[in-house]
Amino acid sequence: MINIGLKQIGINLAPYMYMYNEVFNKKKIRDPYLNIMSWAKSLPHNLVIKKKLQAENLFKKIGITFSVYNNFDNAERLIPFDMFPRIITKLEWLHIKEGVTQRALAINAFLRDIYNKGEIIKAKIIPEDLIYKNPAYEVKMIGLKVPNNIYSPIIGTDIIRTDAKSFKVLEDNCRTPSGVSYMIENREIMMRMFPELFHTLNIEPVDNYSAYLLDILKTLAPRKCGGDPNVVILSPGPLNSAYYEHSYLADTMGIELVQGSDLFVKDNVTYMRTTKGKQKVDIIYRRIDDDFIDPITFNKMSVIGVPGLFDSYRTGNVNICSAPGSGIADDKAIYSYMPDIIRFYLAQEAILPSIQTYKCSQKKDKEYVLKNLKKLVVKEVHGSGGYGMLIGNNASKAKINLFSNKIKNNPNNYIAQPILDLSTVPIFKNRDLSPRHVDLRPFTLVGNKKNKLVAGGLTRVALKEGSLVVNSSQGGGVKDTWVLRE
Amino acid sequence: MLSRTAENLYWTARYVERADSIARLLEVAYRIHLIPNTDEGYLSEWDSILKASGMKQEYLKKYDQINKEKIEFFLLFDESNDSCIKSCIINARNNLKMVRTAVTLEVWNTVNSWYHDLKNYEKDRYSSKDLPEILDWVKKQVNLIKGTIDHTQLINDGFDFIRLGIYFERADFTARIIDVKYFILLPSSTYIGGQVDNFQWSLMLRSVSSYRGFRWAYGNSNIDYKKIIDFLILSSICPRSIFFAVEKINHHIYRLCEFYDDRNIVHKKVNAIYKGLSKCNADEIINFGLHEFLTKFIEDIGNVYTDLESVYFSGTDR
Repeated sequence: MINIGLKQIGINLAPYMYMYNEVFNKKKIRDPYLNIMSWAKSLPHNLVIKKKLQAENLFKKIGITFSVYNNFDNAERLIPFDMFPRIITKLEWLHIKEGVTQRALAINAFLRDIYNKGEIIKAKIIPEDLIYKNPAYEVKMIGLKVPNNIYSPIIGTDIIRTDAKSFKVLEDNCRTPSGVSYMIENREIMMRMFPELFHTLNIEPVDNYSAYLLDILKTLAPRKCGGDPNVVILSPGPLNSAYYEHSYLADTMGIELVQGSDLFVKDNVTYMRTTKGKQKVDIIYRRIDDDFIDPITFNKMSVIGVPGLFDSYRTGNVNICSAPGSGIADDKAIYSYMPDIIRFYLAQEAILPSIQTYKCSQKKDKEYVLKNLKKLVVKEVHGSGGYGMLIGNNASKAKINLFSNKIKNNPNNYIAQPILDLSTVPIFKNRDLSPRHVDLRPFTLVGNKKNKLVAGGLTRVALKEGSLVVNSSQGGGVKDTWVLRE
Repeated sequence: MLSRTAENLYWTARYVERADSIARLLEVAYRIHLIPNTDEGYLSEWDSILKASGMKQEYLKKYDQINKEKIEFFLLFDESNDSCIKSCIINARNNLKMVRTAVTLEVWNTVNSWYHDLKNYEKDRYSSKDLPEILDWVKKQVNLIKGTIDHTQLINDGFDFIRLGIYFERADFTARIIDVKYFILLPSSTYIGGQVDNFQWSLMLRSVSSYRGFRWAYGNSNIDYKKIIDFLILSSICPRSIFFAVEKINHHIYRLCEFYDDRNIVHKKVNAIYKGLSKCNADEIINFGLHEFLTKFIEDIGNVYTDLESVYFSGTDR
C-alpha cells in the first residue's frame, strides 16, 4: 500500500521505493531482464530518440490510433509506446494462464446459470438483488438457448503484480475487451526496430491471435447454420476509439468488417448487403454495446444497430458474441464474489486472487470507506476507462468531499479497494530509465469444448511519474510484452 | 464484397481524381496570372475556373468578389468548400478508412501519408508564391496513389470499383471544363483566328494536361477548334478525353458483369454511350451543338452512375 512519499512525486523515485520492481530485486537485476538491461544501457541516447520517433511514425503511418471522445480538434491520437519491453518468465506465464483460463470458464458457467436456473442464487452465495436488480442483467436473455452455452468467448483480464510471487486480478472484461491489436502491433514494431533482440532471445509469438479467434468463433455457430459459418465483425464505425482494432482483426481474420447499416434482418434471418446481393450472416463478433445492438429490442435511439437482430438471435439464426447481458459478469459489484463463483462452478480455489473490495452497498463497508477515503481507490460500479474514479491519497480535499457525498447519496453505485502497490517496469525517459507502474491484460478465448490463449498480453503503463492510472484515455501508454519460452 | 466497401472504394478514387483535377485547374490559374492581360479578360478567366470547379456559387456566398489569392485558397484549403483539394484528401482518406481491409497496406499508406503531409503545405497564411510547390506535391501524390493501386491491389471487383471512381470523375470533369468555355470552340465565335482564342484554347488543353499531348497527336498543323473537339472528346489516345474515360468505364462495368455473372442494365447503357462515341466525329458534334452534346453526355453518364449505385451499392437482390 502506498502511504509514503507522495509529496515527492515528480522529484525523485521515492514514490516507487516500496513497490515491486520487476527488473531489480534487492538491487540486483533479475535474470530475465539481464540481457535487456545491458541492451538498454548500450543504446546511445541519440539512437533512443531516433528510434522513438521512428516508432511513432510507424504507428502513424499504419494508422494505429485511438479517438478520444469530446476532443474534436485532435480526433486521432497515437497511444504512447515505450520501447523497453516487459518480460514474463515461462513459469510466471503458466501461472497466469491457468488463472485466467479458470476465470474465463467460471464466468461462462456463471452467465449460463444466472440466465437459466439461478442455482448460485438459490445456494445463497450471491444475493438475489445483486443479480436480478443489476442494470447489467438482461431479462430478455432469461431462458434463451445460447450456442454451446458460451456467453463470453473473449475475456480480457486485467492483472497486476504486487510482489515476486503474486499476480492479482484487478478487473475482468467480458463484454468487448479491446487492446489486443496493440499487443500484436507493439510486437511488430519492436521486431522492425530491433530485430537483433529477437535473434538472441526466445520469445513466444503473439501474431497467431487472429487465427485462434476465428477458430474459436467458428465453434459457436447458431442452431440454424448450414456449413461453414459466415463470421463478421460489427463495429460502430471509424469514429469509435477502437476502430483500428476492428479493422485490424477483420483484416487478419479475412472476414468482413460491417456496420449496422450493412446488415438487415428479413424473416428473422440476418443478411449483409453485398455487391452480389444479400448474403447470410451466421456469427457476429460485435464490438458495440448491448444497448445499441438492436433499436427495436433495446435502445430506440440507436443508429448503429440492426433492427430485428435480437429476434434473429433468439430464433437461432445468428449468434451474437458476446451474448447480450454478458456484462453482468464483469460488473464491479460481482467482481468481489469471483472467488465464490469459481468455487461454486469449478470446485476449485481461485488461482489468481482478487483484490479486497469494499461494497458501499453494505453498511459496514460503507462506513469503513467513508472513514478511510484517503487510503482507498473508489470506483463506480458500472464505470470503465478510468473515468469516475477517486484515488484517495492523491486527491484534493474538494474531490474527497465530492466522493464522500456521492457515496452517501448512492452507496450502491460505489465500491472501494485499497490503493495497491503495482509493480514497476522502466521506461526510457530523457537519458535514463525510470520506473513506472504497469498492468497486464491477456486475452482468453473460450469456444465449444476448447479454449485458447496467446502467450502474451497488453502491458499498459502509467507514464506520469507516480501515477497508478494506466488507461490510454488518462495518459497511459503501452509496451511490448515478452513471454519467454524457457 | 460488402456494398458499402464497393461504394467507399469508388468514392475514395473519385476524390483522389478530383484533387488531381482541381490541381490542374489551379495550374491554369497560375499561368493566367503570369500573362499580362486586360482586367476584363483576367476576371473572366477566374470566373471560368470557378465555374469549372463547380464551386462558383459557394465561393460567391463566402467572398464578395473575384480575387486571385482568395480563389486559390478557396480551391486549395477552404474546408467549407467540399471540393477543395484539402477536402478531397480528407474525404478520400475517410472513405478509405472505412474499408481499410479492402486495400493493401501500401495503398492505405500512400493515402494516409498524403493526409498527414498536407499540414506541411498548409501555412497559417496562404501565399500565391507557394502554389507551384503545392500543386506539384498534390499531383505527385495522386500518381503515387494510382500507381500503388495498379501494382499492389488484386485485380478483382474492388479494383474495378476504384477504376470506375477515377473515370466517372474524369469523364465528368472533362465534359464540364469544355462546357464552361464551349463558346470558344464554336465556328461562329467572333474570336476565331485571333490571339484570344489561341490563348484560350491552349488554356483549355492545359487544364486537362494535354497541351503537349495535343501537339504530338496533331503534329505541327495549326490549332483549330475541330481538332480540339476531336482531341478532348473523341480521342482514344488522350487519357483525359471523354471517350477514353468512357472506354474505361465500359471495360470495368463489363468486367463486373462477368465477375458477378449478370448482364444488368448498367452495362447496356454504358455500352450504348461507348458505341455512340466511337462512331462519332467532330463535325457531327458541331452540327448537334457542342453545348447540347455535352449536356446530354453529362446526363447520360449520370444515369449510368445511378444504375451502378442501385445495382451494386444497395445490396439488395436483383
